[in-house]
Amino acid sequence: MNELIAPPLPFDMKPRAREAVRDLKLQQFVGSATHLKDIHRGGIFDRDFGHDYDALRTVARDTKQHALDHLDELLEQFIANARASGATVHAATTGAEACEIALRIARAHGALSCVKSKSMVTEEIGLLPAFEAAGIKTLETDLGEFILQIDGDAPSHIVTPMIHKDRVATAQSFVRELGARYTEDPTELTMIAREHMRGLYRAADIGVSGANFLLADEGAAVICTNEGNFDLSVGGPPVHIVFVGIEKLIRGARDLAPFLKLLARSGTAQPLTVYTSFVRGPRRAGEHGGPKELHFVLVDAGRVGVLASEKRDLLRCIRCGACLNACPVYRKVGGHSYGSMYAGPIGAVLTPELERAQAGGGAGLANYADLPRASSLCGACYEVCPVKIDIPKFLLHDRARLRERGLSPKSEGAMLRLWRWLAERPMLFRLAIGAARLHARLLGQKDGSRAWLRAAPGPGAGWTQSRDLGMPTGERFRDWFATHAAKRDTKRGAR
Amino acid sequence: MRVALFTTCLAEALAPRALKAAVLVLEHCGVAPEVPLAQTCCGQPLLSNGLPNDGAKLAQRMCEIFAPYDAVVTPSGSCCSVVREKYAGLFAEGSRERANANVLAAKTFEFIEFLETQLKIDPTTLKPKDCSANARCATLTCHDACHLRGLHRHGCTAPFLRSAGCGTVRDLPDMSQCCGFGGMFSTQFPEVSSALGDEKLAHFTSTGAAVLVASDTGCAAHLAGLAHRKGVAIRVISPAEAIAESLGLLAREVTSANASTEAAMHPKNGTEVG
Ligand code: SF4
Repeated sequence: MNELIAPPLPFDMKPRAREAVRDLKLQQFVGSATHLKDIHRGGIFDRDFGHDYDALRTVARDTKQHALDHLDELLEQFIANARASGATVHAATTGAEACEIALRIARAHGALSCVKSKSMVTEEIGLLPAFEAAGIKTLETDLGEFILQIDGDAPSHIVTPMIHKDRVATAQSFVRELGARYTEDPTELTMIAREHMRGLYRAADIGVSGANFLLADEGAAVICTNEGNFDLSVGGPPVHIVFVGIEKLIRGARDLAPFLKLLARSGTAQPLTVYTSFVRGPRRAGEHGGPKELHFVLVDAGRVGVLASEKRDLLRCIRCGACLNACPVYRKVGGHSYGSMYAGPIGAVLTPELERAQAGGGAGLANYADLPRASSLCGACYEVCPVKIDIPKFLLHDRARLRERGLSPKSEGAMLRLWRWLAERPMLFRLAIGAARLHARLLGQKDGSRAWLRAAPGPGAGWTQSRDLGMPTGERFRDWFATHAAKRDTKRGAR
Repeated sequence: MRVALFTTCLAEALAPRALKAAVLVLEHCGVAPEVPLAQTCCGQPLLSNGLPNDGAKLAQRMCEIFAPYDAVVTPSGSCCSVVREKYAGLFAEGSRERANANVLAAKTFEFIEFLETQLKIDPTTLKPKDCSANARCATLTCHDACHLRGLHRHGCTAPFLRSAGCGTVRDLPDMSQCCGFGGMFSTQFPEVSSALGDEKLAHFTSTGAAVLVASDTGCAAHLAGLAHRKGVAIRVISPAEAIAESLGLLAREVTSANASTEAAMHPKNGTEVG
């Protein structure tokens, strides 16, 4: 698998984050794209829902939570209804199992080529490398994923996977990999990709996709795309496999409306994605399109474990990407800094949790100790989440677990405990503040009412790496207030 | 009504002038705040960095210290949000501690919020009578602390100051993006934190304002510190200071960084006032 999204563990985020901050192109592309998306997201919700936006999110939150709380029943219903419609349903506990199931299907049909539409769960289970290793040539048909594929790059955003790249890079790759003529025109670039893909669609032995929702009542899947590539991947090849995490289940079409209203608006500020496709059963007698065989692979890969944990709310995520677009840290460090296909705020909490909950049990937080700390806790993610996942709460939860397990720096913990000890002793606490002020007065550079330190000692060193520390030099507030209050009280007494 | 000023450790250490301004403005509005002596830190650094039990000890202290008061006012948006949103959850449901935390949460307010929603101050009544005195306040722009989001107070400072006639209040582009402070995040990921701060400073500079009003001491120290390192001319103050200056309750500070800009903008008012 690509090291960018499946790095060796334990994963060290800091070097990647540092590099990303210095990468001017990344700053420009990711910064402007996320800002724009975030602004347009706010705009379209204001325009279309106004004050009802919050109520809509509450409905979506409760509907999805209800589904998760009844996941076992919904699974049974889905399986029964999907089978009744002629589909084959498989369950995979691990990513490896999911790949194995797909390989079995492919082998049964002697498949040598595959067209795949965008799916995060296939990134998660490593389907593409498994297919390639088995000699099944696989084409990513989502334009962004296609460009990443020919570049050997990896997605850095769950909705706009190539957010870290631009047209120039795309143009160059098309010249290099497809022998196309150089153009930066988006329409021409799309046409080049289209020409390249069309033939491959027709020739492919197998189609693969993910799904945005699974409908238990109908035994069907709902797939939201903007390029129509899913419809081609399901319409052409004789066999189609839908890979889907079990948390995508909802009761049925009756519950779909709030999610469709929220998903595309949250992600790309569209009222709906260009295509909202429903897949139910294989091709029936008399039908002209559709696969002769339709398979659903229901993937656990840790989800059952997450469901049983305190972090079950995370499974409500509909992968809209709004929290990534709104996150100041994501905007600066980009997706690859998170070492996972799930980047940004949701990735920071979901990645370690899914890894922990894998069959066999991963080390979880111990493997991703930086992720919960890489947040200023600004709360923008929670504010934009269409299913109201309180991501900051889970970041704090993880920070506490890190501390308990001794996975945070020891010196930092000791300092914080000393701080608490001091804070319980007001006299000493004030003395400590006084000492810090004195230090600055003696060693700092005086400017107006402050003394500025360019290099602070001990815990202040991280601070002064990039900023000066300005300590006030004048009267202390408490001293001022004592005099002031005394005057105030005499005045009052005199009245 | 007995009102206590919840000073916060950071403001006592780094922003005594903000506290002084808070007292003076409250008095101007007819409230004489008290300053409980035993208060230290609300526990935010502990609660945000994986030590909820240690934080809970300080939360309990806070509940006791502020028990005698009817209202608690603080110039720090983030400390306010900790008391309001985090305290109760630290204690078992049905416990006395939880009840105390709920009581404190219900009576704790950020400074501008307190003026607006509790004292019901019409900001236009805070307009300086002497219009020429208005020039004392430079052109300013506001950055609200992210933690005001949870209190539904994000973006409320600028309109209030504008109505209160605190000089010319310009809109800060992309105000809603975090300034990058984030408590210990600022030292754990200094590059990311500073990059965000630099972006904030660039937006500030684009407004042409001389003063940045920040509704949290941490954000203020972070941005002022970055600017000082880079030699960016900026004066970072709290909302209370902006009002106190505009009302002539506090003299405007002059530092080498802002002296030239401010003197250029307000040639007669660049120096000490009343
Ligand atoms: S956590 Fe919420 S905002 Fe983020 S991707 Fe998932 S649904 Fe969207």
